Amino acid sequence: WSGSMDGSVGPMRVLVTGGSGLVGRAIERVVKEGGGREGEKWIFLSSKEANLVSAQETRAAFEKHRPTHVIHLAAMVGGLYRNMRQNLDFWRNNVHINDNVLNMSHEFGVVKVVSCLSTCVFPDKTTYPIDETMMHNGAPHDSNYGYAYAKRMIDVHNRALFQQYGRKYTAVIPTNMFGAHDNYNIEDGHVMPGLIHKTYLAKKEGKPLQVWGSGRALRQFIYSLDLARLFLWVLREYDEVEPIILSVGEEDELTVKDAVDAVVEAFGFEGEVIVSFHTNNFKFTPFKQAVKETCDWFAANYDTARK
Amino acid sequence: MNGSVGPMRVLVTGGSGLVGRAIERVVKKEGEEREGEEWIFLSSKEANLMSAEETRAAFEKHHPTHVIHLAAMVGGLFRNMRQNLDFWRYNVFINDNVLQAAHEFGVVKVVSCLSTCIFPDKTTYPIDETMIHNGPPHESNFGYAFAKRMIDVQNRAYFQQYGLRYTAVIPTNVFGPHDNFNIDDGHVLPGLIHKTYLAKKEGKPLQVWGSGRALRQFIYSLDLARLFLWVLREYDEVEPIILSGTRDVFDIVFLVGNGKADGQFKKTASNAKLRKYLPDFKFTPFRAAVKETCDWFVANYDAARK
Repeated sequence: WSGSMDGSVGPMRVLVTGGSGLVGRAIERVVKEGGGREGEKWIFLSSKEANLVSAQETRAAFEKHRPTHVIHLAAMVGGLYRNMRQNLDFWRNNVHINDNVLNMSHEFGVVKVVSCLSTCVFPDKTTYPIDETMMHNGAPHDSNYGYAYAKRMIDVHNRALFQQYGRKYTAVIPTNMFGAHDNYNIEDGHVMPGLIHKTYLAKKEGKPLQVWGSGRALRQFIYSLDLARLFLWVLREYDEVEPIILSVGEEDELTVKDAVDAVVEAFGFEGEVIVSFHTNNFKFTPFKQAVKETCDWFAANYDTARK
Repeated sequence: MNGSVGPMRVLVTGGSGLVGRAIERVVKKEGEEREGEEWIFLSSKEANLMSAEETRAAFEKHHPTHVIHLAAMVGGLFRNMRQNLDFWRYNVFINDNVLQAAHEFGVVKVVSCLSTCIFPDKTTYPIDETMIHNGPPHESNFGYAFAKRMIDVQNRAYFQQYGLRYTAVIPTNVFGPHDNFNIDDGHVLPGLIHKTYLAKKEGKPLQVWGSGRALRQFIYSLDLARLFLWVLREYDEVEPIILSGTRDVFDIVFLVGNGKADGQFKKTASNAKLRKYLPDFKFTPFRAAVKETCDWFVANYDAARK
C-alpha cells in the first residue's frame, strides 16, 4: 500500500505507460531538464517490457515498479486506414489496456492516474468550440469509433472509480500534437508529422511538395514539450476527475497552410508547393492549362460575359 | 455467414432470469421450438461469464450456432448508485467474453439485451433506436448503462471488421413470472406486485410512492420472448430494435419508488421500427398479463426472488 487519499505519499514514483512514444519522450525530456523534483523516481514503460493488453503482464509491471502515480499514455494506435478497417480490434484492445492499467492502479493504491484522451474522440456532430462537458454528447466520427469509444470509456471508468472509491483519477485531452519521436507515417492522416515527412522527401528528391486538402482547414496545434509540461502540472496540481483540454487558445488556431509555411521555412524548402483538394486520386487540370482555357472563353464571350 | 448452419443450437445466457424463463416456456411449452433445434439455458451456476476461461469452456461444451445473451450483473437502484465501477467493469467483461467467444466459435448470430434505461438522460421524445449514444445516461446507473451501450458499439465493430450480424433488442419495462420482486430495487411492476401481496396478506393499506402521474411502457415477458425468437430468426439488422407495447394500452399511472429517487417522469420509446416489421403482432392485454404474473407470484411466493 503506497499512499493516502490526500496525496501525501512520500517520494513520488511515477510510472509512465507508453513511455517511448511522442508524449512519453517529451515528458522524459522535461523531467530530465528540471521538471522532476528531489527524490522522485520516473519509470518509462514501453510495450517491450509489458504487454498491457494482458492483465497478468500489467500486474507484473505494477508489482515490479510499485508506482504511487501513473501517467497512462499507452494505447493501440494506428493510422486512419487501419482504424477504419479494424474498429473491433481498436475497441477491444484499448478497453483491455485501459482496464488493466486503471484496475491495477486502484489495486496497488496508486494515488493518481492521468490518462490521455484526444479531441478526435468527441462527437462528430457538434457545436464549436468543443469543451470538456461535451465528450459523451453524441457518436464519434464513423472512421475510428472503436478507438474513440475506448478512449471515452476511460472517463467513465474514472468517474466510476471516484463514485465508488473516492479516487481522483483523471485525464487530459490534447489537440493536435507534434514534436520529436513522433510517427511520421504519411498515410496515417496526422497533419504535422505527415507534412514534415513529405517536405523532407520533397526537398531530398528535388520534387514539388504536394499537400492535400484546401489548406484552409483550422487546427489547434500543441508542441509535445508544452504538452509534457502541462502533464506535469495536471499530475501535481489538477484536482478534478473531469478531464481537461490541453491546447493553445482559440485565438491561436492555425490553418493547415500556416502549418505548411512553417514546415517549408523550417526545412528551407525552396521547391514548388502544390495544394490540392481532398483526395490523392483526383487529377486536377494543370493550373496553366486551366487559366488558358478560361482566357480563351472570355475572349470568345466578351460581349455577354458578366462584368 | 448466410445462416445455413444445419440445425440451430441456441445458447441462452442468463437463462434462469425473467426473460430466459419466458423464452424457455415459449420454446418448450408453446410449440415455438422447431424440428432439430436445441435450446440450452445457461445459468451463472454453470459458468461465471466474468471469466474468459469459464465462458470459453461453456462454448466448447455446447458449441452453439446462435446465442441469446441475457446475462448481466444487475442490481437495484441503490446498489447501482453506489457501485458504478463494478457495474461498468463486470458487465463489460461479461459482454466481451460472450461476444468474443461467439465470434471465435463461429456463432452465426448473437442477440443481446439492452434496456431503455440506458438512453440519454436529456433527450427528446419519443426515443428511437438511433438515439442511444446521443448524450450521457442518467447519473444513477451510468456504469451499467455505458456497459450496455458498448454492446451496440461492439456489435457494429464485429460487422465492420468481420461482416457478422450480431444485434440487440431494447425492451421497455419487462414484467412476468420468475422476476426479482424486490421492493427496494425500483422496478415498477414487480415491486408493486410484492407490495400489494403483502398489503392484502397483512390487512394493511397499499402505499404507493410517487406523483402517480409518471408514464411507462410495459411489455409482458412472454410477449418479449416471442419477439426475441422473431429477432433471432428474421431480424437482419445490426442496429438494435426497441421492443415495446403500444403507448395507449400500457401507460400506467403509478410510480413505485421512494422519496430519495423517483426516477424519470417519462421515457417514451418509439415502437415504429417494430411495427414496420410486424404490424400484426398481438401483445397480451395488460390486465391479463398482470393477473398471470400476480397468480404466479402467489403460487411461488416462498421460492420467488425478492
